[in-house]
Amino acid sequence: MPEPLKRKKKDGTSYERPPEIEAWLKKLETVEVAERLRQFATLSRKSLGHVPSEALVYFLRRAWAEGMQGDFEKIFRILMKRIEQSLCSVISDSRMAGARGIREEIMDRFAERIAKDCKGRTGLLDFYEIRFDKAFAAFRTSALRQIGPSVVDMVPLGTNEDDGLEISAEVEAAAADFLGGDPEKLDDPAFRLELTAAIDCLPDDQKQVVGLLLQGFQIDSKDKNVMTIARILQCDERTVRNRRDRASKALKAILQKENAL
Amino acid sequence: MTAEQYSRLSEEEVLLAFSVEPTHDRKTLEQYLREYPEHAKALAACSIELMVDATRSDDVAVTSEDAVDRAWQRFQTVVSQPGDVLVTNPFAMLNPTAFKSLAKKLDINNLLLIRLRDRAIVAATIPRRFVQRLASELGATAESVMEYLQSPPAMVSGHSFRSSVKPAVTEQISFAEAIEKSQLTLAQQDALKALQD
Repeated sequence: MPEPLKRKKKDGTSYERPPEIEAWLKKLETVEVAERLRQFATLSRKSLGHVPSEALVYFLRRAWAEGMQGDFEKIFRILMKRIEQSLCSVISDSRMAGARGIREEIMDRFAERIAKDCKGRTGLLDFYEIRFDKAFAAFRTSALRQIGPSVVDMVPLGTNEDDGLEISAEVEAAAADFLGGDPEKLDDPAFRLELTAAIDCLPDDQKQVVGLLLQGFQIDSKDKNVMTIARILQCDERTVRNRRDRASKALKAILQKENAL
Repeated sequence: MTAEQYSRLSEEEVLLAFSVEPTHDRKTLEQYLREYPEHAKALAACSIELMVDATRSDDVAVTSEDAVDRAWQRFQTVVSQPGDVLVTNPFAMLNPTAFKSLAKKLDINNLLLIRLRDRAIVAATIPRRFVQRLASELGATAESVMEYLQSPPAMVSGHSFRSSVKPAVTEQISFAEAIEKSQLTLAQQDALKALQD
């Protein structure tokens, strides 16, 4: 039986792995160690028999607890290889200045988290046994907020204007129409996927505004109890509108280009 | 875990807890924003990352083992550190020759490096890129070096001197001030100024 997670939720109950991860662990526990390591080595998600990273974290911790140092190092290296692969996609050399150094720093930080977990300090790795990709995206976000470049180089249109500059009424109307005027289009999964991929190309400040708009947050409100984008991002509502308008203009250009291909 | 312990959760812990929620819709995000207003910007950034992450492909071929080797070395260093050391002094292992050599590699002089080692410079004023270079030369993460630089200034022991006044911790100065007051050459000063965030 896989060992339960120790980390507790706010209500005092323990975190639990999803049933599909529990099923993987039970299945892998019946497999010989050498065969298990062979299965872990499959890198591509598309390959048949690709073991989820949640399971790798579980067996990594177990190898450490049982003093199996050789197995521990092998799993550590496979896990880090997967992490590097995922970082190369998100923090690619073409996307950010100094991408390689940033990727290495994030990997080193994750190695430190594993070391601290081995020393029984934090128990933070429990999260990675639940939803590895999501937890790692959170870890990466936090790290990038501290060490990432303030500007992502891949910016589709001129975005160096000051946030305080006024946007013309025409552009503002077009932006409002694009981002909020056609709810049916936004409900279309194919369009939403295309739009989400395009949002990923925006600079961070614009990406956040558009992302929050798509989640249904309003830009501003006189009611102080309403959680608005201006309040979340701690900036003036005019700044939010300007970012939205620039984002809208850039998104249109990206989507038109995509559709022309 | 009590409510009081929860209120002291770090940004990383809050984002991790958010990330494993079954959904990341407006309702969940709003709940976290109200509970952890001090991490509002980080939560907003995280929610967007989780949204766009699903559209990315990570089938990028990685052939070199360099980054993995480096991470393994980092793991071994941290795991072998004594448990009670909370903030490690990354300069502790340097002998005088290695210390001078480090200054040379960073194209600064010993005086500025001593100020950094003794935390005589306000950490927040040190350019991020300089911290990254320093960390890289020290074989440490920028995070751990920053953690060290941010800890209170030290009254360095192990240095013997006579004085008529009681030794005290030096008052911290800004990085810009340290550049001017450390007898650096003009070229060195210009290079460091260019690193400002």
